[in-house]
Amino acid sequence: MRNAFVDTVIEASLQRDDVFIISGDAGLGVFDEFKQQRPDRFLNLGVAEQNMIGWAAGMALTGFRVYVYNIAPFVLYRCYEQVRNDICYQKLPVTLIGIGSGLTYSPMGMTHYSVEDLAITQSLPNLRVYSPADPTEAESAARLSLEGDCPTYVRLAKRGEPRIHLGEAPDVTRPLRLTEGDDVALVFHGTVVNEVMEAQQKLGEMGVSAQVISLPQISPCPIDLLDEMLADVPCVVTIEEHFVDSGLGSRLAFWHAAHRPQWKLSCLGLPPEYVHVVKKQHGMRQHYNLTTEHIVSHVCGLIGRN
Amino acid sequence: MNTKTTNQDMPEIAKRIRRSIIELAHVSQGPHVGTALSCADILATLYFQVMDLDDWDVRDIGILSKGHGAMSLYATLAERGIIDKELLNGYCLNDGTLPAHLDRFAAKGIEVSAGSLGHGFCIGLGMAYGFKKSGSDRRVFAVVGDGECQEGSIWEGALFAPAMNLDNFSVIVDYNNLQGYGRPDDLCSFHPFADKWRAFGWHVVEVDGHDHAALKQALTEATDGKPRAVIARTTKGKGVSFMEDQLVWHYYLVTEEIRAKALEAL
Repeated sequence: MRNAFVDTVIEASLQRDDVFIISGDAGLGVFDEFKQQRPDRFLNLGVAEQNMIGWAAGMALTGFRVYVYNIAPFVLYRCYEQVRNDICYQKLPVTLIGIGSGLTYSPMGMTHYSVEDLAITQSLPNLRVYSPADPTEAESAARLSLEGDCPTYVRLAKRGEPRIHLGEAPDVTRPLRLTEGDDVALVFHGTVVNEVMEAQQKLGEMGVSAQVISLPQISPCPIDLLDEMLADVPCVVTIEEHFVDSGLGSRLAFWHAAHRPQWKLSCLGLPPEYVHVVKKQHGMRQHYNLTTEHIVSHVCGLIGRN
Repeated sequence: MNTKTTNQDMPEIAKRIRRSIIELAHVSQGPHVGTALSCADILATLYFQVMDLDDWDVRDIGILSKGHGAMSLYATLAERGIIDKELLNGYCLNDGTLPAHLDRFAAKGIEVSAGSLGHGFCIGLGMAYGFKKSGSDRRVFAVVGDGECQEGSIWEGALFAPAMNLDNFSVIVDYNNLQGYGRPDDLCSFHPFADKWRAFGWHVVEVDGHDHAALKQALTEATDGKPRAVIARTTKGKGVSFMEDQLVWHYYLVTEEIRAKALEAL
């Protein structure tokens, strides 16, 4: 999905003059073709994240649509105040491409995980936040980032993820219903999609009909549309590779408390603590109860099925 | 709008800016009068003698990275005719017009929002780079404080600017040797300050930051393709004798009595 997003931007850049890509010394190989085609539209600003984000804001002030590429923590955490003040407060068309969503980079260590990025980015007004589930959603998000005057943050995993959407490019500003179902709704974002889809299938085999909804646009959250989809569902389960108390789940919990007390709502995600275990991504998902099996047994417990 | 001004007018222009600063500090009952007075001559020189502002669409860019000096910028923009003097009347008031730190959406001429230190400098570098990439000869001038140079972002940008050949960028350091809670030189000496910039590859000039002619010279001389750093030796509170080089005027408020004394001193 990394390449799907970047390639969409690069393709557009061949037709227009305002697209500029800055890398924070990351993305070996990703921009080789772009650097050949548009050598005057690419810059590596090295290991200096504060300067990189301020610089991007400055270029945007002169009319460029700037893309900043790095591992997610390095486009958000180190330079948070530059993102807040320089890009979001000034409302500039800068897109932050954060690679390694959630636990993608396991077992690189906590410094390289982004399990609180949505907590941070959801709190920034003006910022559009996307967490695509597959390359197709990533391409749609990329096209949106090429228009409008707002900044964008996109949380991407790495490369090689399978395509979930096989037809037309979906409108990622809306919640995307992947399967119909009446017993439970599984609402998720990002690459945990494979666990969720498998869980839906297994639940179906058990006679449990699960509606699966991908929510690629985290902010501004299309909560009204989501609410419509969930109007007749008794149980809602959120699944995300993110801290459970500050991502999609908590957003829905707020809605549940204020508007939909009848839902039985349950949120799956990481506990808000630093990750010290050393595991690969699937092992991490097992550790944090984010696998297909966990989702299935969680749903069964929730709806009283054994 | 006026075009550039002759040298003879400058002391009078700077004095009017300083009077305006005193009024703003008095009406708002807010802090930072010392820092605003400190950079008044720098801004006066930039906006009246150095920057090209006649064709607004291709104007030179002035950035006050030390955003807490906002009163000085507001007074200068009003004096230069870029903003309506009426706007000053709403400075920091309830339902007012201009905030104590810079918001680029508040008024024309505020090119960059600033308040947290070490931001405007890097934004300015990005603008200078953007202009170069667009084939434009527009220039960028960023005023930073000496205390602000404790920010790591300043030195990140300082490292990259010469490598990108940003000879359309100038930083002016308002070196008044007083920050919020002491003297930078006592805290952790910048010395040798000019050599640091020079070693990073900048064209460096040290001047008296209250000498308009010297500032103009420093800001216009050729830099041999390098970005320019003007280290302007200034006095915090400059122009109001009892505020000069006094730490407390970073925060002290301008009461009615102080206002009268300050205007008298000017």
